[in-house]
Amino acid sequence: MSQETAIKKTGSGALVGSVLLGAAFIAIGWFITANGVTTNTEHSIQEAVGIHIEFGKLLGTIGIFVAMFKVADVFFLTPLFEAIHGRTSELENTFSEAENLRAEMTQLKADYEKRITETENSAREQIQAQIKEAQDLKKELMADAQRKAEEYKTQAMSEIDTEKRKTLTDLRLHVTTLSLQATEKLLSENVDNDRNRKIIDDFLATVEVKN
Amino acid sequence: MDLLTRFNMLLASGTETVGGEAAEHGAEAAHHVVAPLPSFYGLMVLIAIVFLVMIGFLASAKGGLNKKFFTKTTTKLLEQLFVFIEGLAVGIIGAHGRKYIPMMMVFWLTIFIGNLVALLIHASPTSDLSFNLGMALIAVGYVQFEGMKANGVVGHFRHFAGPKLPLAMIPITLMIFIIEIISETMKNVSLSLRLYGNIYGGGEAVKAMNNLGAQYGVPWLNFGDFLFPIKLLTCVVQALIFCLLFAVYLSLVTHHEEDHEEGHDHSAHGETAPAH
Repeated sequence: MSQETAIKKTGSGALVGSVLLGAAFIAIGWFITANGVTTNTEHSIQEAVGIHIEFGKLLGTIGIFVAMFKVADVFFLTPLFEAIHGRTSELENTFSEAENLRAEMTQLKADYEKRITETENSAREQIQAQIKEAQDLKKELMADAQRKAEEYKTQAMSEIDTEKRKTLTDLRLHVTTLSLQATEKLLSENVDNDRNRKIIDDFLATVEVKN
Repeated sequence: MDLLTRFNMLLASGTETVGGEAAEHGAEAAHHVVAPLPSFYGLMVLIAIVFLVMIGFLASAKGGLNKKFFTKTTTKLLEQLFVFIEGLAVGIIGAHGRKYIPMMMVFWLTIFIGNLVALLIHASPTSDLSFNLGMALIAVGYVQFEGMKANGVVGHFRHFAGPKLPLAMIPITLMIFIIEIISETMKNVSLSLRLYGNIYGGGEAVKAMNNLGAQYGVPWLNFGDFLFPIKLLTCVVQALIFCLLFAVYLSLVTHHEEDHEEGHDHSAHGETAPAH
């Protein structure tokens, strides 16, 4: 049961009724006292139990309370209850809103933390990928350089070999020429030049050239 | 004759009371500070004083209700009283006890202010048995009305007969019924006599102690004034007891099942369970 339903508002009819009823009680009480209607009964009670009760006062008191309950309720207590309950409700709403905001903030914080973590992971992954890419590039470049170096080396070796062969051919030609000249002078006779050159070439082919 | 004594005499001599006691009481008041029992008009004047003070206090408190936070002293005091009475009502009667708060607050304020008035002008409605009995009759009558509303007329009176016993035990049931009816009637006596005895007796005690000074040669020394702190405590305690008993009587007749469960919960949490 809510507080709002627990304390019911008193209508103006009930208020007027209570005040009239209270006034009636007071009037009866006054009448009884003024005319001594219950004097004998009061005497009897006092003699019997030693307690002095006046019925006029009793009814007057009841009348005042019957009226006062409603008057105090309507004019003072109900506004007080409404104010207190209104304030309590407002405080509860404020606390509820604050609680919701706190929950929202907590959620936002969690989201931001998650996003930060994701960003960090992404950055880390990107850095790792870049490092790997750089390493791959480095390897590729090194392999390329190695390959080119090998090519240059092979080319150089080939050129060296070609130059060596050319030099050897020139040298052989020169030696042949010198040999022919020497032989011609030694033999002092005309020898068929082409036949001699063939003999020398055959000879030189059998000779192993030492580097 | 000082102003206070004249006032007390005025209260007592407003009309003729039983056996012309007013004049005797009035004469007695001239010698003693404590007032005699007031006449009908005297009582009405005292009640008017009490309710004027109460309405003044409530009106002052009402003036501070339009703010979000209560800053006015009277408003804060009334709020504290409301919270206290609400705790009392809900703790003893249960959640539905909130509807009795206005009545309990009026009782509390009337008795408390009435007792305070007794401290200041040595005359109070609460020192008159007729006034206290009137309050008790309203309280107990309202309890019976609420009991009938909650359980029905038959159910309410059946409740007085105790548990359902076999047919042969009808005399026992009848006896329980009579005892319960007497018990209900005695609630009026209990509520009214306790308050009357404390306030009227307190006044008599002050009067007797004031006479001690004269006996021991220091008539200017009112020993009764030393009772002021304990009388001040009595003002609060009597108001509390009346409201507490009213709440207990209501809880007995407006028994609700959900409150029982609530009461068990309270017990489980070490709180005061409703007194069913």
